[in-house]
This record gives sequence, C-alpha cells and structure tokens, in this order.
Amino acid sequence: MARPVLMFDSLSCCEGCGLQVINCETDLLPILAAADIGRFREASDGDVPHYNVAFVEGSIVTSHDIEKIQEIRAKTDILVALGACATHGGVNMLKNFQDPDDVARYVYGERRAWVPHIPARPQKAEVKVDAEIPGCPLNPAEFLEAATCLLMGKPFRLPNYPVCVDCKLADNVCLWHKGVPCLGIVTRAGCKPYLCPSAGHKCIGCRGLVDKPNTQAAKDVMAEFGLTVQDVLREFRLFQGIYDEVSKEA
Amino acid sequence: MLPLVLNKSDLGAWIEALAAQRRVAAPVLKETSPADRTDLKFGWEYIADPAEVRLDYTVTVLGPKKFLWPARQTVMSYQIGADPRPTAVLDHEPHVLFGVHPCDVTAIQTLDAAFSKDIADPHYLARRADTAIVSIDCAAPCDETCFCLDMGSLYPEAGYDVMLTPEGNRFFVEVKTPLGEALVEKAKVRPATKQDMQARQKFAEEKRGNFHFQLPFEVKYLPEILDASYDSLVWEAIARRCFACGSCNTTCPTCYCWDVDDDVAVDLTKGCRVRRYDSCQLDPFAEVAGGENFRKDRSSRLRHRMFRKGKYILDQTGRSGCVGCGRCERACVADISIKETFIQIAGSR
Ligand code: SF4
Ligand code: SF4
Ligand code: SF4
Ligand code: SF4
Ligand code: SF4
Repeated sequence: MARPVLMFDSLSCCEGCGLQVINCETDLLPILAAADIGRFREASDGDVPHYNVAFVEGSIVTSHDIEKIQEIRAKTDILVALGACATHGGVNMLKNFQDPDDVARYVYGERRAWVPHIPARPQKAEVKVDAEIPGCPLNPAEFLEAATCLLMGKPFRLPNYPVCVDCKLADNVCLWHKGVPCLGIVTRAGCKPYLCPSAGHKCIGCRGLVDKPNTQAAKDVMAEFGLTVQDVLREFRLFQGIYDEVSKEA
Repeated sequence: MLPLVLNKSDLGAWIEALAAQRRVAAPVLKETSPADRTDLKFGWEYIADPAEVRLDYTVTVLGPKKFLWPARQTVMSYQIGADPRPTAVLDHEPHVLFGVHPCDVTAIQTLDAAFSKDIADPHYLARRADTAIVSIDCAAPCDETCFCLDMGSLYPEAGYDVMLTPEGNRFFVEVKTPLGEALVEKAKVRPATKQDMQARQKFAEEKRGNFHFQLPFEVKYLPEILDASYDSLVWEAIARRCFACGSCNTTCPTCYCWDVDDDVAVDLTKGCRVRRYDSCQLDPFAEVAGGENFRKDRSSRLRHRMFRKGKYILDQTGRSGCVGCGRCERACVADISIKETFIQIAGSR
C-alpha cells in the first residue's frame, strides 16, 4: 500500500485537541514514519490536493466553517472528527441557548457584522463523518488507538459503556456518595486514565452520551438528590450531545 | 493448637515482619467525605507503614479481590509478523491480604471454585497460590446494606490462614493452616488465659446479638424463589431506574466475568492482550458478532444478574454467588438493592 496521506485541521474551537495530538510527542513518530502529513495547520504551512485521512477538530459556528468542512470532505477518503466540538458541538453549543445578537455582541464586538455566525452544530450535521474521537479535550491514548486501528485497517470502536465502569475499576468512591452529582452514569467511557472522578471532579459529560443512556433515570435520581429542572438542564447542556436526548423529555 | 492472643500494641511489629517476606495489602483510610468529616472512606491498598492499617474499617469499594484478579490485567504478549511468539503473562509474588472480612473470605472461596472449574485460569490461580489471608472478624454489621448472616458468609469455616478477633486491647489469633502457622511465628503471641477465653466468649455473644436475619426466608429457598419470579413484572419495574452502569458488578467480590482487548503498539511490531472486569449490566455484554444482542433490555440484564447471584453461580460452582456484602447496593447511584429485590420477589409470586 502507498503511504497514507494524513491531514489535521481546525474549525471553530480552542485547538486544544490538535495540541493533545502534538502532545503525543514520541508516540507520534511511528505514525509519521508510516504516513505522510499533507497538512497540519497547527504545526506547519502547506497543503496537498488529496488526503486519505483528515482529522478535523472544532465545531461549526459560521457559514465559513460549513464551506471549509465541505471542502475537506471533498478532498479526503476518511474524515475523523476530533474532540467534543467536532463530535457533539462542544461548549460552543452554549450559544444556542442564548440570544444570538447578544452572543455576537460580546464575542465579536464591533466587527460582528463581518462574521456570518449561525447556530453551533457538530461536523456530522453538515457532512458525513467516518469516525469520532470525543472528549474535551480528546484523550491522546484514544487518538493513538484510533490511529493504530487505521494503520492496521481494523475498525475503531468507541467504548459503549458509562464512565462509571472505569471509575470503579480505578477503585474510586462515587462522587454521588460524597454529595456531588456526577454525569458519569450516562456518559460514554474512554477517558481513562484521565477520568475526572479520579481527580475528585464530577464528570461533566464531555464525551457525550452512551448509546442507550437512561436519561429518565438520571433525571429522577438528580431530582431526588434535590436538583431543580434548571440545574439538571444546566448539567446536561454544557456539552450538547447530552442536551439533545434530554430536551425531548424535559 | 492452643488459642493464642496478640496484644494490639504488638500488631505493627508483626505486620512489619510479614512485610519483609511478602507484599502486604490491607484496608487503609482513603479519604473523608467533604460533606461529613466523620464519614470515613476506606480502601484496600498496598501499605508502606503498618500504622496505615485500619482493622477497624467498615466497607471498601473494591475488595481484596483486586490483588488476586486486578481490574486490568495483561494476560498475554505477542509479536506482530511471521513469528508471533505468544507468551502468557503470569505475574505473581508472595502476598498477604491483611484484614479480610468474613464476607470477602467467603467470596474468595467462590472465586477459587469459579476460576478452577472447566478451563482453569492460570493467572488467577498463580496469584492465589502465592497469597496468604489474614482475616479479621466483624463484631457488628458494617452498615445497613449488608446481609452476610443470611447469605451464610459471616462465619466462614475455611478460606483463611489466620483469623483475628478483636476484643479490647487484644486480638484472638486462630491459626487455620500450616501457612498461617508460619505467619504467626513472626508475631509476639501468647497462649490465651482463662480471662482471655471469657472475653472471647463475650465477643461471640455480642456478635450474635448484633446481627439479625433480614431475608424473610431461608437462603436455601432462594434459587426456587428466583425460578418462580422469572416472568415477574418486578424486573421491568426495578430496571426503570437502572443506568446499566455496571457498578454493581465491577464492585462485587464474586463477579468473575471479564472482557479482553488487544493493546497494539503504535509501530505495529507487538501487542498485548489485556482483560478488564466486565459487567452483565452493560448494554454490549451479550452482543455477539454480527451485532445481535441477546439481552437487549435492561430488565433482562438485571434479572440475569440477580439469577447469577442467587442461583446460577451456586449451580455452577457449588458456592454462593452472593455473600451479602452490600457492595452492589452501596455502589448503585440508583439505590437498587439486591437484598430488597430478593425480598420483593419472595413477596410478589
Ligand atoms: S463518580 Fe461518577 S463516574 Fe464515578 S461511579 Fe460515581 S457517577 Fe460513576
Ligand atoms: S470524566 Fe466525563 S467530563 Fe471528565 S473527561 Fe471523562 S467524559 Fe469528560
Ligand atoms: S449499579 Fe445500579 S444502576 Fe448501575 S447497573 Fe447496577 S443496578 Fe443498574
Ligand atoms: S451481589 Fe452484591 S451483596 Fe452479593 S456479593 Fe455481590 S456485591 Fe455483595
Ligand atoms: S458484610 Fe458482614 S462480613 Fe462483610 S464486612 Fe459487613 S458485617 Fe462483615
């Protein structure tokens, strides 16, 4: 097989996921030895006409982002969405629950007319996405696993069980039992060994929901815990993937 | 052997002496709850200092099982290419699990039976053969979720090398096996006096008074009660609250299912096979090649767990699949209780 051509690019985001990829440091060397980099916006200039795999972070918040992701889609065989913004819309989705003019005013200020801002959405809302690596930011170990699968020609599958599994395997005392409501019960696992509860923080759902989340039970348990509907929505809205499911029932 | 006594002040020196020969794992204080500083959270860890050992501990998230069968364990390594050279990884070294409660002693016996039947599990059995168990008796229920008396695990007759019984400023030391005898050689024990024996008697009476049966039926009827409940609506009703998060299984001291993953090096030259605790409550647990899932519904998975714990494991290993330790209920954010479930199905037939 010819050496695959990879590219890395960004839409609207903090570019933290691209940084996480660069943070893999020496672990990236075998990938760089086996593949060519056609473009890596965050590391160097330059471009090529065709890619085998495009890794794109960021969500769509302007019509420019739509044009850009469509261009990339047309030039690549495989599109991999990197990080929560790309897979679920990420924190950018928060603007969808606020007045769009207000948001434009405090984000873009005087020059807001220059920016064709639209409601935030994940990449899959506009183009076909072949694989997703969720998380805010993404877990470098999971990126390497997906890259290894691609090099081996093996399908990459995300874990389809909640964060609680890895949390218990790490022998953590559950945060709920320490008075802190945690979204690990409905959030897709895969962040180990960086999972938040191991550091004493609640899971805020940055990897989106598992395939069949029991969000009704989650809301019941949160209500019994003393949270209001507003509190519950706030918990679930931080990362839009979760809002979708919950808003239907709220 | 004459009954022996160890003064509590001599415990540290004994642990220190044991640590020279074996890795010592024991219950330690992990943290206190930020909401309530008197709410102590204990865990099983390797210890560096005998002063860390908390034999007055109540409950732990994972039990001592994790030293016999780690939550994640590499079972095989291999090369990629023409000559794969698969090599089994059997890592074990002498251990002593110091301070195992009666329920966990009983649970380890279930694991021993499960991992020995059919195709024996060399990874577990190698670690088990290298592990000594010092048990500590419970004077009172660890909390309101446990029902060890019902499940017959409060008075284990075997499964430990040494049993300690705390009474005042001393421990009664019961040596069960030759290995236990060797362990106790390092301890500053003395023969029990008549007064000691009276205190021992007092402990036994108080213990009897502190524990009460909680199930409304004798546990020998549990498999029958479960059988009769198979089509009950109870399963659906309870499972409405279940997140399928698996915490009930991943913390259970008798659960022995695992899932296997390949961990391949990025340069594609080698890999290893890693197993981790699995849970029959997880959605993909019964998914097979082609995508078929033969326990799609949470209710059928929840029923399966209860049947495993109350009947199937007993049928298969001859030992109970549930020791009544209460870990599953404690770990469940939705407060689903196996004890309450057993009570409910007995009443709903
Ligand atoms: S702390 Fe969060 S992730 Fe961990 S077991 Fe509890 S709910 Fe699950
Ligand atoms: S624990 Fe939750 S919020 Fe934290 S990294 Fe994992 S999925 Fe994201
Ligand atoms: S711990 Fe509770 S919610 Fe989680 S799978 Fe078990 S019964 Fe269901
Ligand atoms: S089923 Fe629950 S109570 Fe029974 S042994 Fe397992 S964790 Fe303990
Ligand atoms: S379940 Fe019973 S044996 Fe186990 S720790 Fe609690 S009181 Fe002791």
